[in-house]
Amino acid sequence: MKQSAIRTLVVFSALFCFFVAGFSLAEAKSAGKIVIGHPACLSGKYAKAGEQAIGGIKACIDWVNNVYGGIKVAGKKIPLKYKYYDCESKKEAVTSLIGRLVTVDKVNVVFSAYSSGLTLRGAPVTESHQMLYMDHGGANNKIFRQGFRYIVQTIGPATSYHQGTLNMIHKIDPKAKKVALAYEDSEFAKMVMHGAEKYAKKLGFNVVFERTYPKGVTDLTPLLSALKASKPDFILGGGHFEDGQLFNRQLADLDIDTKALSLIAAATLPAFYKALTSMAEGVMGPSHWEYGVKYSAGEAKKVGLNWIGPNQDEFVALFKKALGKNIIPDYHAAEAGAQVLAYVLAVEKANSLDSDKVRAALGDLEFMSFYGGWDVDDTGLQVGHSMVDVQWQGGKRVIVWPEEAQTGKPCYPMPTFAEKAKGKIAVP
Amino acid sequence: MFLEQLTGNLIQGIVLGAVYGMATMGLSLIFGVLKVVNVGHGAFIMVGAFVTLWLFNALGINPILAVPVAFAVGMGLGFIFYYTTMQRLIKAPELATLLATFSIGILLEELVKLTFGSEFRGYNWVVGKIDIGVTVLPMSKLYACIGSVIIALLLYLWFNKTRAGSAVRSVVEDSEGARVCGVNVGGAYALSFALGIGLTVASGVLLTMFIPVGINPYMGGGYTLKAFVIAVLGGLSSPYGAFFGGLAFGLIENGSYTLFALIPGVEPFALTRFLSFVMLLAILLIKPTGLLSTK
Repeated sequence: MKQSAIRTLVVFSALFCFFVAGFSLAEAKSAGKIVIGHPACLSGKYAKAGEQAIGGIKACIDWVNNVYGGIKVAGKKIPLKYKYYDCESKKEAVTSLIGRLVTVDKVNVVFSAYSSGLTLRGAPVTESHQMLYMDHGGANNKIFRQGFRYIVQTIGPATSYHQGTLNMIHKIDPKAKKVALAYEDSEFAKMVMHGAEKYAKKLGFNVVFERTYPKGVTDLTPLLSALKASKPDFILGGGHFEDGQLFNRQLADLDIDTKALSLIAAATLPAFYKALTSMAEGVMGPSHWEYGVKYSAGEAKKVGLNWIGPNQDEFVALFKKALGKNIIPDYHAAEAGAQVLAYVLAVEKANSLDSDKVRAALGDLEFMSFYGGWDVDDTGLQVGHSMVDVQWQGGKRVIVWPEEAQTGKPCYPMPTFAEKAKGKIAVP
Repeated sequence: MFLEQLTGNLIQGIVLGAVYGMATMGLSLIFGVLKVVNVGHGAFIMVGAFVTLWLFNALGINPILAVPVAFAVGMGLGFIFYYTTMQRLIKAPELATLLATFSIGILLEELVKLTFGSEFRGYNWVVGKIDIGVTVLPMSKLYACIGSVIIALLLYLWFNKTRAGSAVRSVVEDSEGARVCGVNVGGAYALSFALGIGLTVASGVLLTMFIPVGINPYMGGGYTLKAFVIAVLGGLSSPYGAFFGGLAFGLIENGSYTLFALIPGVEPFALTRFLSFVMLLAILLIKPTGLLSTK
């Protein structure tokens, strides 16, 4: 009996030692690195934005590891690592890859894929794993009305995209009253335009035309012919990059001239002008960030916010190094990069890698980086970041609104397509 | 105002429909001769679009001149894929040819992505416009329409007035009979496949003349879906039927938009797409050989 008790005790002790050793090893392993997981859009319809996001994330990880010295948790600086797979811009791939990142790769946080649709698709998966889910590409407010507990947004909410454009036209042309809305039948574009419609009415504009077109549309002629008949003063439209290109091109084909044209998610990208050349002159677009914005450590100090991260030029240099390409990052890169910085600050504030604790810290976090302000409400919706309006002038992107961020005055009304075909450029 | 819009949209529909028809002829030709459904059809259209883009942007070559170049590239690709893949699968179950053409499509998309990248591109070929009162027609669209009609006529002449065309027709009618009469059936299959791919790649050029933006390795998917509807509409195995099917599709797509816009509270574009697939199902149920087929 006594021998049996001793044997049992020895076996239990051995098992205890085995588990303790195993747990310690696992702790040591996890403490050696903090891993960001990302179902990235390397191919498919969001490949362009996906490449930018990867560049932005890598650039800020580089800064965190090599300049900042890693994330400080329990008195120890731990480097960041980045694990990503190509989701091919497909919803079904996003869900399976998030499952893989969490269960196989054991990442500490998941960054969403680009677009509202893909972000929303991934959210239930991260919720089921109680994993922190950071959204840099899904602007649709609906994502934050589902009751998800682990999601936090860096990109600004869709409903505020066109507020700046409407404010600008309201101020510089009080006679312009008729606005046409034509946009992609997608969650993101619908949310943007519903926000724009509400705000336009608040400012006293009349919405004289409002229609959607399906994703993957190849000809907008019937819709644009109907839009022309409504004789708007200006047009707010678009959805994603490809339909934005098509929208602008077919407006030019049909000689539909308005005083202003603002296209979401397309007009701000260099490839937009490259494809359309002179037809893009004077076209505007809201942007979360543009090279030239004036956010700095000094600006942060003025408004009483903490500053973290590289300055604008350092970010651009790190981005170019990360992608190995001599290109200027766009807002897709900046918002993804800023998200890395938010995660770093939150982990340090929580002093833990636990998703619940980091999520709580993100809720209390407020800071400024090269991307601008960062603050979220209780649902995780971004409320601290302001957008800018960009216009193509002489083949260059100029920040025209808000006035305090301007790098140039707006060209309003923009030249007609006939004038642009003759070589006229948009000059204020 | 309504009549003006309807007329304008119908004219635009005819112009677009001719290009759609041309873009479907290759699909119907391959199905008619080889009984192979080319689900990678859209990827070959994309190749044509990239041929145009490259010739225009890199060498400054007019998109009209890109048509014969794209046709030659397509013929070359057609022969390569026929002798390396399709030849072995002609007698295989339908699923094998479906998978093979699907794989070829993905292979082409990824090869183009590796070479040119994944961004959406475009070119700006400005050749003027015609204002016909009810609508404005860019000359590039008119050239694309005229080019489609000319290519359809040339195909008709080739089929009916040349020895090679007669050989292909005899294989379509009765391949065993054609073999007994000394027709090189394997050669006819290869030629038909290559010709079908050549037409499809050339149609990619014409489509970019209509819509010179949104050129991307994955742009073909939408065109594949439309091509299937048009092919069924025009008679699955008839390239000429496909051409007229395309015209009918363009008219229905553009015309129905204006009519659906009269219904309050609906999104006309959503209904035009719905109508396309209702039409597809109805034709398959009522006349599976195609609405314009004589069989």
